[in-house]
Parts: sequence; structure tokens; C-alpha cells
Amino acid sequence: MQALAAFRDACRPAALRLAIAVAALALAGCASAPRLDGASLPAIELADVPFFPQTEYQCGPAALATILAHEGLAVDADMLAPAVYIEELRGSLQAELLAATRRHGLVPYRLEPEPGALFAEVSSGKPVLVLQNLGVDRLPIWHYAVVVGFDPERGDVLLRSGTERRRRERVNRFLRSWARADNWAFVAAPPDEPPATADADGWIRATVDARRVLPPQSTEAALETARSRWPAEPLVLYASAVHAGDAGRWHEAARDYAALLAIDPGNAAARNNLANMLAEGQCFAAAEREARAALAAIAPQSPLRPAILDSVETIARSTGGADAEPDYCAEFD
Amino acid sequence: MRRRRFGPSVLMLCALLVAPLQTTSYAAVIGTEHYLGALERDQALERIDAALAREEVRERLEQLGVDPAEALARASALSDAELVALAENLEELPAGGILGVIGVVFIVLLILELVGVTNVFNKI
Repeated sequence: MQALAAFRDACRPAALRLAIAVAALALAGCASAPRLDGASLPAIELADVPFFPQTEYQCGPAALATILAHEGLAVDADMLAPAVYIEELRGSLQAELLAATRRHGLVPYRLEPEPGALFAEVSSGKPVLVLQNLGVDRLPIWHYAVVVGFDPERGDVLLRSGTERRRRERVNRFLRSWARADNWAFVAAPPDEPPATADADGWIRATVDARRVLPPQSTEAALETARSRWPAEPLVLYASAVHAGDAGRWHEAARDYAALLAIDPGNAAARNNLANMLAEGQCFAAAEREARAALAAIAPQSPLRPAILDSVETIARSTGGADAEPDYCAEFD
Repeated sequence: MRRRRFGPSVLMLCALLVAPLQTTSYAAVIGTEHYLGALERDQALERIDAALAREEVRERLEQLGVDPAEALARASALSDAELVALAENLEELPAGGILGVIGVVFIVLLILELVGVTNVFNKI
């Protein structure tokens, strides 16, 4: 792609310029996504998704307003600009669109970077915010738009984009521009409604990332929904247990850790946390046993080792006055 | 790949000094974010990285013209991994927004558009 850089030099014969352009084209053509038959697209259009035409370089706020308003929030592009727009970059960063979604009480969920996930989410009724590179790899033109449907008859993707309420793009052109942006896409989900393509790990990650910003009851709702949808997933149990422990509910937390360890006995982090919960509940004998088992299970170079060593020492210090332990400790013997 | 250094070393030193103090009675619980971070990276200082990165990103946003109070709120809503990524190379990440295209870029893209490689211009 040095050809494109050279193209900036003004004094070149026209023929050479043409040759350079052709070379650039050939190179750009290499990075194409696999072709898709337009007729295989799902026939769906989310016609009631609102539209906020962008002004200047503000496609970020406009696209974000589109998906947030669809979830019933009273927002528009101008209101969101202070939260996502960066004047000097004349644009918005991907991470900041996710952050602003959290600040509005919703969980941003990053889609699997493949067309199937995009089709499934739109088919389930969710408009999907996508990043496109409308240029080429070395001359990127980054643009956010919202996919609201597909037209299998004409092989088009339907978007809210820029100043166009219902933009049509040929599916393979769209997929190429999306692939040049690493197939980046997300949906805004209410905390108690994981999106159609969510899996347990992805949902927990999204929830944990949003936890500092969401109201506590929203985090609670997100975890509860995860519990009912994926009751035996280790990461779901882990996150629920941490949350219960933070809220002072040591007994509930200890039960979740125990359930997780029944599935995944080598999970040293969960065993460490179980030890801490048991110590909180004055079950020191079981706590000490679990802390030592956690230390035995952790790899020497693990970044989690210091926390586990800390648990072992703290709990050992607490077990000095060994009075009779409360009856409920028998549950964890 | 260029890697930005985190803030002044004094700040790093403070973070290291403060870290052990937070271990009161049974506070050695490994939080979910810490746990996930350890699954993905073998960096013991990952938590401290995130705290420093937050400060770095906030400052950077201010330098780029974001209102100071808003910069703080924006940095606070980012996850640890996002903060570290932004602190490392904020300017090099995609910043979506372009509506118009100028100069030689326009000409190159116009040619690409006409032969169907790109789709910047809708109605050509």
C-alpha cells in the first residue's frame, strides 16, 4: 500500500498516477469478505426504529441515539454528543459508545464478529450498531450506522445511516465495509433481557464491565436473569457469588461457590473466595481448609496467587480462639 | 507497536504502597473482573494498570477538548480492558464520524467506488 502514500505526491505523470490507482485497487480488492447470496438474507425490517440524522462528523451520537431511543430512552444525538464526541478527532471511539450505553442504564453487548450474529439480532427485533470502514485499510473512513433490516429480494441491507433514514447497501458491499472494521457491532440490552445471541460468558463480561456505572438493582437483575437462563454455568455462579458477597450475603455466596466447585473443582479463585465467605460466617475450620486447598491449586506464576496467600494468612490469624463453631458450618464440612 | 508509558512513576509508587492497605479482615475475595483479567492476561499489575489508565484517559480526553467534568464521567464508564486499550493508543483507534471526504483521498476513493470496492458515496 505504499502506492497510496506515493499518490499524495502531486508532480507525477498522469499515466503513472493511473497505474498507481490500479495497483491500489488490486491491493484493496484482496481484503474482501466471503460473498453471500443476497436471497439468503432474513426478510425483516424494523420499521419503527427511530432516526436521528447526523450533523458534521457526529455519526457516533446519531447511531447511539437510534439504538437507545429504540429501547425507550428519551435521548437524541445532540444530548449524547457531550458523552461520546471528541472534537479534535472529529469522531467517536468505539469504547466510548459502549460506556455511554452503560451510563444510560443499558448493557452494551458486543456481537460475535460474524454475519450470522448480525442477522439473528436484527431478526429478534434488535437494531444493531455497526462500525464500517467505508474507505480502504490504509485510507480508513470510519463510520457508525445502525442495521435495521434486510431485503432478500434485492439483496440489500437496510440502515439508518448518516443523513439517510432508510439507506440501502448491497449486502456484499456492506459486509466488506463491516469486515474492514473487524465486524465490530453491538446492541443495547436492558439488564434483564440478554440479547438473542448472548452466551453466558459474554453476558457476564458485559454485566461486569457495566457494574460500576449501572444502578445496583440493574446489576442484580442482570445476574438474576443470567441465573435463570444459564443456571449451571461456572462464570454465572462466580459473578453471582461475588455480588452476593459484596452485598454482605456470605451464606448465599458460599453456597454458589460450593455449587461452582462441584462443577469445576480446580477453580482456585472460587475456592479462595469460598474460604473468605466461610471466615465471614465464623466457620474458621472449613475456611482454613479451603484457603489451603486454593493455594495448592493455584499456579505459582498466577496473578491471583498474592490474593490467595493473603487469604491463607488472614484466616490462619483468625482461627486462634477455637470456640465451638456455629451449627450451620456443618453444611460446608 | 508503540506503547505509552503510564503517568509519572510517583503515581505508580503510590498505587503499590496503597494496594496492601486495602486487605482488611476478609477482603481477599477475587472479584469477577480481576478473575476474568487473570484468565486473559498474565499481568499481576493489571488492577493497578486500570487505575492509572483511567487517570491517563481522563487527562487525554481533556486535552482533546472534552469538558473536565464530562471527561471524568466518560473515563469512569469504561471497563478495565477498555481503559488500558485507550491509554495505550487512543489516537490510533478508529474514531467513527466522517461524513465528507476531502482532497486526494476523495479522488482515490471515487475511483475505488466506481469499480465497486468501496461504498462511501451512495448515489454515483
